This record gives sequence, structure tokens and C-alpha cells, in this order.
Amino acid sequence: MTKLKTVADLEKLHSELAGKKDPRRRAIAVCAVPGCGAYGSEKVPPALREELKKRGLEDKVEVLATGCQGFCEKGPIMVIRPEDILYISVKPEDAAEIIDETIIHGRVVERLLYKDPATGQKVVHENEIPFYKYQTRNIFGPNARIDPNSIEDYIAIGGYSALAKALTKMTPEQVIDEVKRSGLRGRGGAGFSCGQKWQFARQAVSPDGVKYVIVNGDEGDPGAYMDRSLLEGNPHSVIEGLMIGAYAIGACEGYLYVRTEYPLAIKRLHIALAQAEEYGLLGTNILGTGFNFTVRIFRGAGAFVCGEETALLASLESRVGEPRGKPPFPAQSGLWGKPTNINNVKTWANIAPIIQNGAEWFNSIGTKTSKGTMIFSLVGKINNSGLVEVPMGITLRKMIYDIGGGIPKGKRFKAVQMGGPSGGCVPESLLDLPIDYDQLTAAGAMMGSGGMIVMDETTCMVDIAKYFLNFLKDESCGKCTPCRVGVTQMHAILADICEGRGTMEDLDTLTELADVVKNASLCLLGGTAPNPVLTTMRYFKDEYVAHIRDKKCPAHVCKKLITYKVDAEKCTGCGACLKACPSQAVSGEKKRSHAIDPAKCIRCGACHDACKFNAVEML
Amino acid sequence: MAAAELQDAPKRKKKVGAVAVIGGGIGGMETAISLAESGYKVYLVEKNPSIGGTMSQLDKTFPTNDCAMCTLAPKLVGTARQKNIRLLTNAELVEVEGAPGNFKIKVLEKPRYVDVDKCTGCGVCMESCPVQNTPQIPEPASFAATLAPDKKAAFDRILDRYPDKKGALLPILQDTNAEYRYLPEDALRYVSERLDIPLAKVFHVATFFTAFSLKPRGRHTIKVCLGTACHVRGSPKVLDAMARKLGIAPGETTPDGEVSLETVNCLGACALGPTVMVDEEYHPMTVGKIDAMLKKYGWMNVEKADAAETADAPGAAATTGPAEAAAPKEARPQ
Repeated sequence: MTKLKTVADLEKLHSELAGKKDPRRRAIAVCAVPGCGAYGSEKVPPALREELKKRGLEDKVEVLATGCQGFCEKGPIMVIRPEDILYISVKPEDAAEIIDETIIHGRVVERLLYKDPATGQKVVHENEIPFYKYQTRNIFGPNARIDPNSIEDYIAIGGYSALAKALTKMTPEQVIDEVKRSGLRGRGGAGFSCGQKWQFARQAVSPDGVKYVIVNGDEGDPGAYMDRSLLEGNPHSVIEGLMIGAYAIGACEGYLYVRTEYPLAIKRLHIALAQAEEYGLLGTNILGTGFNFTVRIFRGAGAFVCGEETALLASLESRVGEPRGKPPFPAQSGLWGKPTNINNVKTWANIAPIIQNGAEWFNSIGTKTSKGTMIFSLVGKINNSGLVEVPMGITLRKMIYDIGGGIPKGKRFKAVQMGGPSGGCVPESLLDLPIDYDQLTAAGAMMGSGGMIVMDETTCMVDIAKYFLNFLKDESCGKCTPCRVGVTQMHAILADICEGRGTMEDLDTLTELADVVKNASLCLLGGTAPNPVLTTMRYFKDEYVAHIRDKKCPAHVCKKLITYKVDAEKCTGCGACLKACPSQAVSGEKKRSHAIDPAKCIRCGACHDACKFNAVEML
Repeated sequence: MAAAELQDAPKRKKKVGAVAVIGGGIGGMETAISLAESGYKVYLVEKNPSIGGTMSQLDKTFPTNDCAMCTLAPKLVGTARQKNIRLLTNAELVEVEGAPGNFKIKVLEKPRYVDVDKCTGCGVCMESCPVQNTPQIPEPASFAATLAPDKKAAFDRILDRYPDKKGALLPILQDTNAEYRYLPEDALRYVSERLDIPLAKVFHVATFFTAFSLKPRGRHTIKVCLGTACHVRGSPKVLDAMARKLGIAPGETTPDGEVSLETVNCLGACALGPTVMVDEEYHPMTVGKIDAMLKKYGWMNVEKADAAETADAPGAAATTGPAEAAAPKEARPQ
């Protein structure tokens, strides 16, 4: 590996590598990530290579072990190029057949194709599948085209050329101006203008000239995993963005702050940094331009609040991850008191494409106030779980029914929870809402980091509110009283409601407490904590009333409010429920209808799940 | 007088950037530190000769039963070290003049009969004072000296990875936790001494983050994902059943030290949900699949499993045990 000393060196390497990657050449790209790991995805690429070797084809066909390709429901996904044939749920055992049939004879393996549940038709090509058809995969697309462990793959698709452009053809002010004009807003949730944030950090004076740039990879929202997939699938895109940002604000040191729950992302980033260093893309006098930059990786230690920037800085300094009051903002006094700029993983990943294609290109996508694309994790009660990148302004209906393929088992859609614990639940009546920062805020939810959890009629909204408050109660750092005590009290009230001890006055108390917590908390964790309660009370008040007045949980989720009963007419006396019951609450002789003793029943639902005849009812 | 005040009002609207905090108890100190960090000059007035207030006399605090001194000590140090705080101890507020945002206070500082500028706090005066008992301020013993050499060497190996003390605490604790599967008390004491960070602060960090444990964790970990996607797909039921089958509550370890049951906020494997992670392996889980998974790893609680089988088929269990039933089958082909 030779050091790239000038921009011309990089261009030469790029054309060399790109030349080797003939787009007409056969390549097999398979996602090999732990999210797919339960299906054994990481064993697929070695199995393919083995089979190719047996047939003497190892030099003719390239096998790419890629990062997440997004269609997690059917993972691991395999795309065979150049035809873009897509196979789903591939197993290592399928390797021989795929190579014999598709690679050698050019025939499609029918059983591995995606079947459109709406039409029953098998779909051969990637871009014909509804899940992919409506997406605009600007940021996430390269995941499927590169091996994340290879910087050469990244350079071959034009990687680091945006950095070269910024360093040689643009001044830092021009870079900031470009990002500003692009309209890029922070992808971490709050949606502050990225260019403006950079400008504050650029203008801040540091006596010794030290400034920092930080990647916030402390992806804590449950149900959101796009940052992980980007860091694991295309680490260099984040590093390149970070370097452009560093050049723009005048920093020469950077940190990658990654959640400890993501060991693979940390491993891949270590590899990526080592490779970039070997090529001279990190270090001193990068590409002969006089720009110096080093990056270090910092592993979080497991605290949701550390996604908040001041808490993140505190933990980077090895202190307890408690937020502090602002001002001073990190742009003035951040890490070790120096001007610091912190952006989310997805924000950084957007930078290189913006510099490369220009602000106008980015500006042309999205709505009036929210530009570009956003990556969502579409999960929960949805047919096509996965990561979805769409232009801002797409409607929820399109997301859920066209891309997501609707709700499984013919159940009825109830709500979609957006923005993690800080967000809210959006009901069916707002399905045609265009998704952008401001529209979501108006609906009481929040863009957040892009988690989109779909809920159907079997989800209890009071239970969901309780779930989030339980989460926030545990994750509140405890520094300020409104959050520490307020959230705990709100959770206690919700627990009462779920267990049948609620009163109608509780709803007023909840509203009042929510107001205090929202307005008096020190940081946004507390400031947004009441959102799950407020939105569920706003859109699903009838469910609260059912819990309180009728002592019933309409979705049959809240344990204390449901009774299991055997329908004597449907019961065949097979004994499955009796066997499944862990507390010996079921009795009955073989081939006679069984009965459940409510006194012994612990309401675990095992009998209901075990019954093949739907004879165990929930009342 | 009222008229005069009204006339003065516009002048007084101009806010000045200094704040007076009256009372140096826990609330006063926290307020002062937060304000000082936000860039305000703070005058902290305390009538006693030292800050700390009532909390310093408490053992535990309501409602969490946290050790009072553990909360208080870092704040005492923080207040004293914060350059933006001017401490006025042994002093009382006498007069306030002005309006919120721009006012003057008069503070009476009581005599100490000691020249504060010259006193170095050496303690000689206390020693030689015949009226008082001689205070015993023992030199803090070196904790390192009491450590077994092999133990110390093991801790040193981790500490030596971070020659720069600045910001080293968290990575050191992470490495220690990874090596021992928890944070031994000795390690915390030793780290505190070598990094010159008060033990209370080390303890604060060690108990704040979920990655750390003060109790030994099992050789293997089962993590049940309680992320939202898994929650709506039924993960609470999976957790309940898992706890029941292992005979331990979430956060606990089996008595043989083999398995710890933990919960996690999101594993990022939402499409598999409800997801369970055993060490590094992901498993899509339902209540019905738990037995098979635990058996695969050999963690099925044997006693409980047997009891369940006996309950299923009382007749069979009375005549032939499971082992006996299996033996004849194997014998048949011979």
C-alpha cells in the first residue's frame, strides 16, 4: 500500500480500482451482519467462495460480504449482478445451487425469489420489489456495493473524492456555505441546521487552536439501528464526512463515539481508521494539502442520556454522563473546554454526497423545510421490517402499506410510534401526514433518530406509554428533580391504570405533571419525556378510559385486566394448554374440555399460544 | 418611595452577570456549580465555617437510600475547585438592595482570628492549642501497598494502557469490567489512588453506567431485548418465562455462576424480534422456543425440568424414569 501524497495519487488509485470493477462483471453481494446472524448470514459468503473454488470460478465471480442492505425481514439478502437478481433468506446450503443454476446456467432459483404477498407473483429484480421501489438510497445504497472492510472498495465508488474536492477547490467558508445552502438538518432528532452549527464552531476562538469534531454514534432509541448499519456497512462514508467537517471548522482531532452494544461497528471502524492511515488519508499533510487530522474511537458505557451532547462530552472526559445547562454551547466550550462540533452518524454520512454533488442536488429532494432523504427503521407489527431510506415528505401511508407491505396476519393498523422515547404515537387518522421535521412536531411526535415502530390492534397504548416512561425512568440521570421524580411519578400512575387502580383524576394529574416535566427539565431527555403519554392521551383517550372505568384492556395486554377462559365448545381436550401451563392452573381430562383456575393462573398466556383451536379466550 | 422605585426601574433592568447563592448545603452547591459552569460568577454565602450543610450529617438519603456522603463529597470538591465560585464562609447576609437582575448584597464575614491569606492549613496551631484535643489526622495509607503483588500487576497491566491520565477513567473501568466480568472493589480503590480521583467519583462513574457491574457476572450472558419493536412483539412474556425457567430474576446470576440474565434496551435486530442474545449469538425467540434454546446450551434447570415432566405424565414417571425409558430403546437393535 503506497501513501497517497497528492490528490492526483487518489484520482489515479480511483481510476485503477474502478477499472477493475467492471459493472458488467459478475458479483454476488450478500449481507453479512449479526442482525441477519440468527439466520447464519456470515457463513454464506465463505460457502459461496468454497463452491466457486470447487468449480474453478473464484477469479471470475466476486463475492461481497456487505453490510446491512435494509430488507432485514427477509435477510440475509443476496443480489447477483449485473442482472440485479435478488434472493431472500439465503442459507449457506443454498450456495451450490445458486452457483450451478444462476451463475453457470443463468437460470433463476425460483424458491429463493421474493413473492409479492399482494399479487402472489414472484419478483426477480431488486428494483421491482415494492420495498425497494419507492426508496431513494443516497446514503444507504453504497452499503450493498462495498465490502465494509475494504477501503479500496470505497475509493472505487468515488470515496474520499469529496474530501479531495473540499481540501483543494474550496475554502472552509465555502464548505460551510455549501452545507448551509443544502438545507441539511441534524439527523439526530432535533433537526438543527447543520451548516449553522458548523459556523458557530468555526467562529469560536480557541486560545491554543484546538477544536474537536465528534461523531455521535450513541444510538440509544430502542427500535432504531440505522446508525449501526451505516457504521458497520460503510464506515468510511462517516469518516470522510467527519474530515470535511473538521476542515470546515478548523479542527484537527476527531472522536467516534460508539455505543458499547455495537462491538462489530467498533471493530469495523478500527479497521477503517487503520486503512485510511496507511493510505495517508489520516495523519499529517493529508493529500499534500497541509491539512492534519487524527481520529480516535471511544466506546460508550451504556447510558441512554449520553446521546445528549453535553452528557456525551462528560462521558468522553470520563465523567458521569450527566447533561449540563447551556450556554455555553459545545461550539463555544465543548470537550476539555474547547470549541466542539457534534453531529449524528447520518448527518456526517450526508456530507460527502453534498460536497460531491452540490447543495442544489440535495436541496431538490424533500420538502420546503426538510431537505434530503432520511433513513427510517420500519419495525414492529409490519410485514417488511427493515431500514428504509426515503425522501423527506413521503406519507406514512406509503411507508407502511407500499414499502412496509402492511400489517401481518390481516390485523388492523393502530398507530406508529416515531422518534423513540422522546417521540409520540401517530394514529391512523394522520396516515396521510407528510413526514418532515415540522409536520411531525406539530402532530406531537418527533423525527428523532428515525425509529418507526408500527403497532396493530393487539398493542395497548397505555402499556406503550408505560413502557417508554419505564425506560426513561431508568435512563434519567437523576441530576434534575423534574425529570427524576416527575417521570417516576408519571410511571407510577400509569402502572396503577394498567393494573386497574386508576381513577379519572389520574388523567388530569398526568397532564399537569407532564407540563412540569416538559418545561422544567434541564435537558431534552426530560423535556420530551412526557411525549409518549401526551400523544397517547391525545389520540387514544378511549383506551385510557376503558382501563380506568371498565377495568378492561381492549388490546388484551395488561395482565391484571385480562382473564383467560377456555371456550368449552371449541376445546377438543388435546391437553396442549395443560402441558404448556407453568403454574398448573389448567385442569381437565383428555378429550374433555379443559378449564382454567383463575386463582392459580399467572396470566403468562402460554395456554393461549399453545392452543391450536383458538379455544383459549382472553376476556 | 414607591414612585422613586418606579423611576429607577428601567435602570435596574440591566442584568449583571453575577449571582449570589445563599446557603452552601447540597442545593446551594449544586446551584452554584451549574451556574458557574454556565459562565456566571457566583458568590456562595454560608454562615457556618464550612460548606456541606445538613446532608453531611446524614447517613442515607430518602427515597433511594443512597449514601449521603457519596453524593455530597464530589460537590464539596467541585465547589472548592470551581474558579467562578467565590466562597464566603463564616458569613451572613445582612442586606439586599436593588431588583432581580441587578442588586447589591451586604455580607457580614465573622472574624476567624486567623489571617486567611497567610494560613496554609498546616494544622500546627491546632496541634499546639492546649484547650483542644490534639487532632489526629493520619496520613492516608497507600492502598497499593496492601494489594497482593499479582493482583496489583494485573491491575497495572490495564492502567498502563492509558499513560495519559486525562479521560482515562472510563476506558480503564471498561477494560477491567471486561477482564473480570465485574468491577472488583480492590480495582476501584487502586484506580482511584493511581489516577488521583476521589473514590466517591470513581464509584459514581462505576454505578452510573449500565456496562459496569459491582457483582460478578456469569460466564455467559443471556440478554433479552426489551426494545420497542420487541416489546410490541411480546418480549415481556419471553423475559418472564426465561426468568422462571432459569430460576433467577433479571439482573441476577445463577448460583453456579454460569449464566446471567440481563435485559437490554435494543439489540438493533428488530426484524427478528423478540430477540435474545446469548453471548454473541442472536436468537429470534418466543416463549415456546425457550426450552430448546436453554437445552442447546445445557442450561435447562434440571430439577425444574424433571418436575415438569413428572407432572405431565404421572403414570409413566412412577414406573420408569426418563433414563430407564431411553435405555431399552438403545438396546433393541443389538
